[in-house]
Amino acid sequence: MKILLKLIILILPASFIWMFFLLLTEDDSIIGADYRNFALPEFNLEQLDESIFIDSSDLGDDYIINVWASWCITCRVEHPYLMSLNNKGVPIIGLNYKDEKNDALEWLSKFGNPYERIIHDYKGTLALDLGVTGAPETFLVQNGKIIAHYQGEINESIWNEVFSPIIEEKELF
Amino acid sequence: MIIEISHFLSILSTGLFFLVGSFALTTNNTPYTSNLISRTYSHAFLFLSSSFLIYIWLAITDNFSVQYIANHSNSALPTFYKISSIWSAHEGSMFLWIFFLALWGFIFNIKIKNAEILKPKTMGIISLIIVGFLLFLLITSNPFITILPIAPLNGADINPVLQDPALAIHPPTLYLGYVGFVIPFACSLAFLINGDPDAKWEKLVNKWSVSAWVFLTVGITLGSWWAYYELGWGGYWFWDPVENVALMPWLAATAFLHSLSVSIKSSQLRTWTILLSITVFSLSLFGAFIVRSGIIDSVHSFANDPQRGLYLLAFIAVIIAASLSLFVSRLSLIKPSGNIKTFSKQSFISINNIFFVTLIFSVMLGVTYPLIYEYLYDQKISVGAPFYNAIFIPIVILASIFLFFSVDSKWSRSIDFRIFTKPIVLSLFFALTSTFAIYFIFKTNNIAILLTIFTGLIVIIRYLIEVWTALVYKKYLNVFSAIAHFALGLLLVSISFNSLLSTERALNIKINEFEEYKDLTIYFKDIRVRKDSNYDAIKAEFNIKDKYGNNFDLSPEKRRYFTRGQITTETAIYISPLRDIYLTIGDQLEDGSWIVNVQINFLIRWIWFSACLMAFAGIVLIFSNRKSNI
Repeated sequence: MKILLKLIILILPASFIWMFFLLLTEDDSIIGADYRNFALPEFNLEQLDESIFIDSSDLGDDYIINVWASWCITCRVEHPYLMSLNNKGVPIIGLNYKDEKNDALEWLSKFGNPYERIIHDYKGTLALDLGVTGAPETFLVQNGKIIAHYQGEINESIWNEVFSPIIEEKELF
Repeated sequence: MIIEISHFLSILSTGLFFLVGSFALTTNNTPYTSNLISRTYSHAFLFLSSSFLIYIWLAITDNFSVQYIANHSNSALPTFYKISSIWSAHEGSMFLWIFFLALWGFIFNIKIKNAEILKPKTMGIISLIIVGFLLFLLITSNPFITILPIAPLNGADINPVLQDPALAIHPPTLYLGYVGFVIPFACSLAFLINGDPDAKWEKLVNKWSVSAWVFLTVGITLGSWWAYYELGWGGYWFWDPVENVALMPWLAATAFLHSLSVSIKSSQLRTWTILLSITVFSLSLFGAFIVRSGIIDSVHSFANDPQRGLYLLAFIAVIIAASLSLFVSRLSLIKPSGNIKTFSKQSFISINNIFFVTLIFSVMLGVTYPLIYEYLYDQKISVGAPFYNAIFIPIVILASIFLFFSVDSKWSRSIDFRIFTKPIVLSLFFALTSTFAIYFIFKTNNIAILLTIFTGLIVIIRYLIEVWTALVYKKYLNVFSAIAHFALGLLLVSISFNSLLSTERALNIKINEFEEYKDLTIYFKDIRVRKDSNYDAIKAEFNIKDKYGNNFDLSPEKRRYFTRGQITTETAIYISPLRDIYLTIGDQLEDGSWIVNVQINFLIRWIWFSACLMAFAGIVLIFSNRKSNI
């Protein structure tokens, strides 16, 4: 009887811990990643480095949209990785989010420009339509449809886990 | 440079704490070694606290080359929020947690004499736990990481819902409660290691446990109050997983205090007491794990990283495995002194232990079941209020009835159990008539509510009679127990009335129009757009008249913060002793009207007051000289 009690006292917490271990390690979904499909919202906004207005038809077929701002510290952290992505030939559209034009241009001249084109979303209207909660965020667009979305800094491992499988599957870029 | 000094000091303290821990657990007690352990601990604490104070200084002086401070503080914030920004996210709050852990150990170290036989081992165990957490901090979530060479100028911004005085003090209070239970935990393990059944660890930890319990009670209450007015949810308890992981240690702690009083008085229930002391601390650690591993989505969860979850889980597993194996192997050490007599105070408290453990298991089930379900079937389900109500209401009612009869019981004596003593009959009579009156006035058929009110009332009246006889006949009264249980009765009655009477309604209302809801006449005066330094807001203005002739203005707001685009609702609340009128503003409809949510929350202040009264009872006990019991 006493042995039984002892066993229960030891096994009960052990099984709880085992369960949490399974839950922690088995969970393969990536936090911040989102694969809901939706159409790229309509917009007509100024380009950051030129005084022309652009809309979604100017952007090409397949590309990624990266939300960034000069005031965003994490954007600076992920910036080198975006440069390397650009070198690999991934077209990146920048969405400059709630940022002063001069600050943004200065930032780019200091750190380099990985973007094909940059939309200057000063009021955050397009970002609002996209459901952006903050910078940085990255969207993968195929033929005007958003097929993957990641909130937060992207780096090699996030890219390989969140975006690469889809890109390979759909044979983009 | 100063950042590196702070970083280095915390590393240094890790080493010293490790030294204290390993030395204390491997040497035998001599006056010389206990002195050495005590002093080394104090020095380790000196290093750690210097490190922490420097870190606070870094936050106050806007040292944004520290990445954590740059990400969570802003040069425009008032100093108070610069300090509280330290515990607004994972790394800093972990640092605070560890500092408090070490602080409890330090106060214990200076208050308890070195000659106390259990002290060296206790200090050793506390030190090893600190080492575990410090390693966790330094390896997986280092708050000292710097951004070099260019530090950002202004920092980021702290989450606007966290810029609130209640919230700035809620986490520290709660942490003080959580980690405070390291003292009874370490003492009980020291007792088991020491192997002398006559060592009275229970007496040693009594006031320490009550202090930690007070902090835990106040911390939970503050959180409840904050969620009410800041999140715009309009209730006091939501059975949110993170609320539940705070509730479990509280339930365990309450059971522990009860059991402890028996073990102090008569050396009975010692097994229970030790097991409960292990349970309380394990549940505190479990809470830290749930919040910081990101395993559950909640308003409270921090940015998550599976690495941290695994480390914490492993650490908790080691602590639980070590303490329980020790407990099991030394089970024979604890000889109960005689059987517990029926209807003695001890018997009631052992029943109470069973009630509380049942509640803890139910909450644990409610927290983990959705996780297991999602793991097995890949579907999200939520376990909410109906589950908890179904379990809590009957158990709490039963427990309160036992409590009511236990007032007449005596320590270690099986009183000839007469149900119809004068106080009992009086309480039953008054409670029964009041409950009937309530039944007829409010025309409710909700048996659960009526029963809860009834049991709440018998407890209140029974303890009032106790206080009265104590004052008039100079009978002995355990003040702590009387206040705490009176508060419990008040809590039950307040909660029942709150759920019986409170109502809410979403109204569509246009500017310059009147709308009636219950006895309220609501007039929508105006709506304005307003800009502040870091958000814009729409502010609605209402004038409300009620049937008591009160006439007041309420202006709920909706804010959008620039930095994160986060939208928050600012509630407007009219507070009166019996009820709160609670307004939040929603969206505008196409016809130009606005959705306004009106809540009438009855006795909600009384719920928090009762909880504070419980905490106050604990304070009374801590500052009384009498060797009190519960």
